[in-house]
Amino acid sequence: MASDNGSGMIDPAIFEYLKAHGEEEIEVGDKLHQITASLNRSISTCQGLLSRIHSTPSSKLAPLLKQVEETGIQPEIEGVGELAQFASKYPYYKYNHRWSRSVQNVVGTILLTAWLGGMGTESRPGELGRLLTIEEIGEILKVPVNLKDRDSFHVTIEEYLLALTDITEELSRLAMNSVTLGDVALTVRISSFIKDLFAGFQLLNLKNDIVRKRVDAVKYHVKKVEDVIYDLSLRNLLPKTE
Amino acid sequence: MSEVIVPKKKDSAMGAGVKRDYQGKEKAKRDAGAAAPDHPRNAYTSMFESFRDELDEHHDRRMRIGKVSRDVTALSKKIVRKLSQPIPERIQSEIDGRVKEIAELLETIQADVQGANRYRYPLICLEEFVEAVSFAHYLRHQTLMTPGEAQEALPADIRLTAPRLRLRHLRPHGRDDADDGGDDAKRTILADMQSVSSMLQISPTLGGKTNVFAKKLDIMIEQVRKVERLGYGVAVRGNERPKGWMPDLNEGFGGSDDIAMAD
Repeated sequence: MASDNGSGMIDPAIFEYLKAHGEEEIEVGDKLHQITASLNRSISTCQGLLSRIHSTPSSKLAPLLKQVEETGIQPEIEGVGELAQFASKYPYYKYNHRWSRSVQNVVGTILLTAWLGGMGTESRPGELGRLLTIEEIGEILKVPVNLKDRDSFHVTIEEYLLALTDITEELSRLAMNSVTLGDVALTVRISSFIKDLFAGFQLLNLKNDIVRKRVDAVKYHVKKVEDVIYDLSLRNLLPKTE
Repeated sequence: MSEVIVPKKKDSAMGAGVKRDYQGKEKAKRDAGAAAPDHPRNAYTSMFESFRDELDEHHDRRMRIGKVSRDVTALSKKIVRKLSQPIPERIQSEIDGRVKEIAELLETIQADVQGANRYRYPLICLEEFVEAVSFAHYLRHQTLMTPGEAQEALPADIRLTAPRLRLRHLRPHGRDDADDGGDDAKRTILADMQSVSSMLQISPTLGGKTNVFAKKLDIMIEQVRKVERLGYGVAVRGNERPKGWMPDLNEGFGGSDDIAMAD
């Protein structure tokens, strides 16, 4: 009973070791929380702006995308930069679950903006229907992608794939709304794009994980668009293919 | 129609049956690797194909690690069960054999968990392993193994991570009493458990993905209470017992009237 902490059974170094590691983990956790919280705010702003595509006719789309790029995506890129700088100091997979969803949302907003014709550069003007590759995403965010040779912050393939399932959902919604806005051609375009992506997803050998779950949902996005196309073709509203 | 089909020996390692069509003719084996030629290709096909290869690699690695992890866990648990004080020669050689087996198993996944991948895949087996070695260490030296010693005991070049080490310290000492029954060394074991327990309660709680640590901490506190109860039983009634008597861990849990518990 008389023994206190200095009983000799425990090397005091163990205690110091545990304390140091525990404290570091708590500090890193707090800082990450702060960074991701601010990144998530930028994401919400960007997603909010982007949601206007559903009520914007194609003629007015360009200025909207410009606004999205400047006030939505730019802060996102800065947020990811801050995250990358901090997170690279620690083992990537130890903490990556803390920001994976956020990064995926950022990638999703960029992909969608670019597909609609935004994200143009001097060398490559934006055009409708352009799908950015994961490498191009990395260039825009100024972070490495699919890193394998070193332990540092990067965008993973899973995050990119999950972002793709995000944009199929958004585009399936847009397919319907663009009919309402009178742009049937866009609906047709979306339809073929989503089908191509779906065919791509089917090439993957998915295991029972989050990617499978989200990819499974893509077929409903395809179905939603097909229903719209069906309604249009039934009424002879589809543009004539020459 | 009348021709007899002699099954040909397949070179596949699995020895799986041969698939036949309705006429009994062997079906051409579909190669899973190459996409069917009639598969329509589009602008994104090659991109997805490269993703597929990457993901396959990742899943294979995960499976390999999972398998090894399960085996090492089983071996470590066997070591813990065999440990008793003092460690006889026979048991020691058995333990050495198991450690060697563990070393061989870990060797196979060493490359899979280097660098960034160290935290990517769960390696709970290491917890079990350190539980085993630190319990043995305690029985031999009556001291708590340090992180450095644990790392040295690990027969592979795999980095132990801080929280892992820590989780492990909880269990072996929760177990001491079950195995040793807190016999004449009762004083030390009880006191040691109490000091380990206070140390872990003082140091900051680690989050981890599902807050495993906090859960284990609760279990540990419960274990310490159990041994305290035993210690009390021995202190109060020890003299009334024949020499060599060991308290039963189940005593004092309601049904038994042996150790009166003031609830």
